[in-house]
Amino acid sequence: MSGSIVLNWLASTPDFAVPYALAALGLIISERAGVLSLGAEGLMLVGALAGIGAQLAFGQPAVSLVLAMLAASAVSLLFAVMVIWLRVNQVIAGLALVFFCQGLTALVGSLAEWTNHATNGIGGMALWPLSLLPGVGRLFEQNAMVWLTLPIFAAVAWFFSRTSAGLRLRAVGENPQAADAAGLRVALWRLAAVLAGAALVGLAGAYISVVSTKLWIAGMTGGRGWIAVGLVIFARWSPWKALVGALLFGCIEALIPQLAAAGVQLPQYFVMMTPYAVTLGVMVWVALARRGGDDEPGALGQPYVREERR
Amino acid sequence: MADASLAAVAQPAQCDPDAAQRARRQPLAGRRYALEIRQHMGWQRQALILAIAFLVGLAISAAILVAAGVPADELANEFVMQTFFDGQNFRAVLFQAAPMILVGLAGSLAFRARFWNLGLEGQMVWGAIGATAVSMWQVGPETLRLPLMFAAAIGCGLAWVLGPAWLKIRLGVNEIISTLMLNYMAANFLLHLVYGSWKDPKDNFPYSPQFRAFERLPELGAGVSSAILLAAVVALLAWWLVGVSRAGLYLRFVDANPRVAHANGVPVRRTIYGAVLLSGAMAGLAGFAVASGQEGRLTQAFYQGYGFSGILIAFLARNNPLAATVVALLVAALFVTGRSLQVFYQVPFSMVQLIQAIIVVCVAASDFFIRHRLRRVGAEAAS
Repeated sequence: MSGSIVLNWLASTPDFAVPYALAALGLIISERAGVLSLGAEGLMLVGALAGIGAQLAFGQPAVSLVLAMLAASAVSLLFAVMVIWLRVNQVIAGLALVFFCQGLTALVGSLAEWTNHATNGIGGMALWPLSLLPGVGRLFEQNAMVWLTLPIFAAVAWFFSRTSAGLRLRAVGENPQAADAAGLRVALWRLAAVLAGAALVGLAGAYISVVSTKLWIAGMTGGRGWIAVGLVIFARWSPWKALVGALLFGCIEALIPQLAAAGVQLPQYFVMMTPYAVTLGVMVWVALARRGGDDEPGALGQPYVREERR
Repeated sequence: MADASLAAVAQPAQCDPDAAQRARRQPLAGRRYALEIRQHMGWQRQALILAIAFLVGLAISAAILVAAGVPADELANEFVMQTFFDGQNFRAVLFQAAPMILVGLAGSLAFRARFWNLGLEGQMVWGAIGATAVSMWQVGPETLRLPLMFAAAIGCGLAWVLGPAWLKIRLGVNEIISTLMLNYMAANFLLHLVYGSWKDPKDNFPYSPQFRAFERLPELGAGVSSAILLAAVVALLAWWLVGVSRAGLYLRFVDANPRVAHANGVPVRRTIYGAVLLSGAMAGLAGFAVASGQEGRLTQAFYQGYGFSGILIAFLARNNPLAATVVALLVAALFVTGRSLQVFYQVPFSMVQLIQAIIVVCVAASDFFIRHRLRRVGAEAAS
């Protein structure tokens, strides 16, 4: 019996882990270019709402997910203009973005009456030879987005470590003065990073609404965007470590319904605190374990101003 | 924003008259603009730019409200006349303003110490829980009950921010994440209480039993609760603290440059602790003001929206306690108006949050025009 609970738990973990993974990856892209993205929670909501809106209109999950990415990118343009050209404090701009998106999505969701309308999600997809394994085969029957997440991660990791464009993007985040002197257009690189990152964060939000819950409720991301911000610090801005962290959080979140199904009596609201408590614990652990070398992008959170008195 | 940019650029400040001449002769497309940091700007001009930004924000908000189905000619009536010049509505604004002022002060005090206290909601929840605990367990005699609830709210709010403050100062843990995570935990704990052992046995709704009469903030007369008096006193104390006292001077030192402050013998850590803990205490008091001054019990979602409003108030008031009080009154008016729009025009209450965010974006962006200026330079000069 207990074996099947563990199997159920592990089989449902990827579904919970994907939003964290994609959001963290999006944040890594923008933060590697030196733009601190606190707006993830808001952009996830935009993605979630746009995804469900497109799903109700067209019923094509692939279309919905792409539209959600575009919507999140479009909203993040506002943030990009504020932090890159108007040089607004990135913390203020990020917070304003979250609150703007919370208000906007709650408003649009209720005016368009998309709240609590269930949609059809996307079906399972078995990873062929592995899914035939006895017992553990079920672990390899996941939806298409779960499988798609892995190549997305591989692509981004390859981009950062193996391409010259990735090197340039990191240079812009590490030392914009030097990057500028080398002929890179710092503002445009940062804009590209913010838009690409926002697209992934929006995809994470759309995954929650279109694939996981299959409906929209105002504020449905429930702090996952903030957890992703913490996750990026935990992963020290490295894509693969972020994937491991996302799986960890997915495990924890997936455990909650499994315990309830197994009839374990736990105070419900304390159980619901665990992802937040774990995030806090992870942040403390990172602070305690921090070694001399710092992997944080050197110019994170600083607007780039060329040749000006400051 | 276009107006604001005109205002910022209007002042011709070329140092080289020949360059200006050359620039004027250039064809429009060939002109270049250089962005400069402005060293100083008079307060009248700053106020003008801020006012323009605020008006732009209001205009965008008004356009959204019209798009959402509020008749355009009713807007001014709803927003200004009904809210400030109708006695009953103005009392509603004051009623709403008490906790709003307290969270605004809480935000500004923490931000003065460069501590992003985004945990105002969590501290508020704990303040309300502390006050309610005193009422539930009937601590102390009747006459002392209200002061005890007051003290419990302060203590609980303060305790809830102690962890993030310590983690930030000792270990460098990012306080934005830690305070936000504690918000979610406090909210879940609140649900645990109001759906669990503290649920009112009378009607089984998720709230605590009603406070007794002597556990509620008394009315001053004419329908005005003494909560607003409490908020005003705290605002004056905060003004004295940051404007007059030695601690306020230390805070300014720490805000300007912690390292130099330390070298000059300012107790940097103690100053930051003091500001942050007081911030938590004030947020706790805001919870007390809602529980004891408005609802008369602990309810499940009373805190929602206050966290953002507190940050917004502190930001718009530039962390000045007296300005925060004025801004808090305006935000309270926005809340009251939002509720009446909800009733009369079925506009969702989230509109209030959207309007606040739009105004923050506009004012934050306007800062650019205060700190920079565009100077036109000739093409030759730029190359």
